Amino acid sequence: MNEFKNDSEQVPVFKSWRAWYWLVILFLAVLVVLFYFFTKNYA
Amino acid sequence: MTFSRLDWLVLVVTLVLIIAWGIYKSRTSRNLDGYFLSDRQMPWWVILLSIMGTQASAVTFLTAPGQAYTDGMRFVQYYFGLPIAMVVICLTLLPIFHRLRVFTAYEYLEQRFDLKTRTLTSFLFLLSRGLSTGISVIAPSIVLHSMLGWNFYVTNIAMGGLLIIYTTTGGAKAVAYTQQLQFIIIYAAMFVACWYAIDMLPEGVSVSDALHISGKSGKLNVITSGITPEGNFDWKDRYNIWSGVIGGFFLALSYFGTDQSQVGRYLTARNERESKLGLLMNGLAKVPLQFFILLIGIFIFAFYQFYKAPAFFNLAQEKQAMNGVYADEYKKVTARYEEIQEQKRNTATELAAALRTDDQPVIDQLRQQLQQDEVKAQLVRGDVKEIIKKANPGSDANDTNYIFLRFVGDFLPKGLIGLIIAIIFLAAWGSIAAALNSLASCTMIDFHKKFSKKQLSPEEEYNWSKWYTAGWGVFCIIAAQFAYNLGNSLIEAVNILGSWFYGTILGIFLVAFYVKRVAGTAVFWAALLAEGLVITVHLLKIVSFLWLNVIGAAGVIVFALLLQAILGKKNEPLIEISDPHKKG
Repeated sequence: MNEFKNDSEQVPVFKSWRAWYWLVILFLAVLVVLFYFFTKNYA
Repeated sequence: MTFSRLDWLVLVVTLVLIIAWGIYKSRTSRNLDGYFLSDRQMPWWVILLSIMGTQASAVTFLTAPGQAYTDGMRFVQYYFGLPIAMVVICLTLLPIFHRLRVFTAYEYLEQRFDLKTRTLTSFLFLLSRGLSTGISVIAPSIVLHSMLGWNFYVTNIAMGGLLIIYTTTGGAKAVAYTQQLQFIIIYAAMFVACWYAIDMLPEGVSVSDALHISGKSGKLNVITSGITPEGNFDWKDRYNIWSGVIGGFFLALSYFGTDQSQVGRYLTARNERESKLGLLMNGLAKVPLQFFILLIGIFIFAFYQFYKAPAFFNLAQEKQAMNGVYADEYKKVTARYEEIQEQKRNTATELAAALRTDDQPVIDQLRQQLQQDEVKAQLVRGDVKEIIKKANPGSDANDTNYIFLRFVGDFLPKGLIGLIIAIIFLAAWGSIAAALNSLASCTMIDFHKKFSKKQLSPEEEYNWSKWYTAGWGVFCIIAAQFAYNLGNSLIEAVNILGSWFYGTILGIFLVAFYVKRVAGTAVFWAALLAEGLVITVHLLKIVSFLWLNVIGAAGVIVFALLLQAILGKKNEPLIEISDPHKKG
């Protein structure tokens, strides 16, 4: 993907959008794991 | 439920503030770019709040706590597919939409396929969105009518009419800026309501105790597998991790990627980077926020373990049952419910004490007792609903929408009730305003500009767009007025109606992106066949409605491939994708 063509297309915080995508997916995975333990703990 | 002068003051001030803010922030260029896309100048955080405000309707905030109260937290799984969908949209649809500088998502389909496919898809969108927006107007009016006795028709006209003022005047920019303020007020009010539910727990009952009591009553079932005790997967189970991740993914991909009410929000961004950030932040924030809204229902449930809970939460229907021919029967059943409540109250108090001393054998015993009490309570509530149905023939015996509002009316202080009623208006406006803007943009761009022979000036296009926005607003109010007479079942029917179309629309876009050998004629007929398949599957009640999105999308792909094979090698030229607004 050619997403870094000008300043307005610079990726914030990370070096690439790929890192953002991984962050979103990993965050979901972490939430699912946390919810699983939440369910187990209180049920 | 009484509505004091202070509540009226809070309600009126909040609504006037929103309308004034919308009109004040609505100055844009007097052309289509300004009216529908805010001159493409919005930063990512406005995009984020705008797409969240569009997705969350009034019913979202009314129903979700009630959903947690009755069915537990598992509803949150419905959103598990959303973050994945955000990533896929950023990778595929978003770059193309920005490169083509489209106004509507469906313009791309003419570039990729042909005019008839674009028109069909835009028509499917107008059909489903037009109907569901009418219902979005009805739902909060029905609740306010039942709980506060407000005249349904007047509430409808007030809710719709005030909204039309700023949506028509300011277009997409007014929609985005009001959604931003609405979002802040809504979550602040929900947070205060949550705080009250916790604060009113009996002395000595902590947040952790409340969670344990709810959890041991089966309400903290955040992750469920959908596997039956016999070891089979239950395809009719609405909310489990698989239907949430897979069905929810297709639903979110279709909704955010191909529904103009959402596409129109992130196309207002100043560039692709801002759109992406808005969508990805939505992927990060949506699940925790929904978890929080559901958690309010859990604390209300815990609260009602210690205080008298109504056997039925819809005040108007309860009154009708208590004053009708079934009054004696109703009183007997509610007395039985109160006995069980008393039993539950004792068990919950003992459980809270046992949790403090960490006495595991007693905890286990009380947990079993609480679960048995909860089953009994649900059975009696079932009997109550039967009487409600008999007493009010044709009425909806589902009181989930009323649980949160009943709690607010019975226990929250004056002023706060007004604020909670205000958030019902605001949440309704947030989603309806975006819908009106998108309905108008599709009507103007995909139909008027496409099929009208007369060349319009930018000023004329701007004025026509305003008329279309107002026209769709009036249509929705009229649809809402008539739909009320058809009964509450219509609301459920139209909610499911969305899943009839989303899969098919998504399927058309998936073919456009990933199946290059398929041309316009094949995908056009495939979409019609898939639509027939989705409706058939739904009518046969084979699966729960979330799976219809998967069936619709897969149906279009399979039928398109088959039809293309039958029609022979693609003989329709693939038009090179370029900026559709460039002349010459």
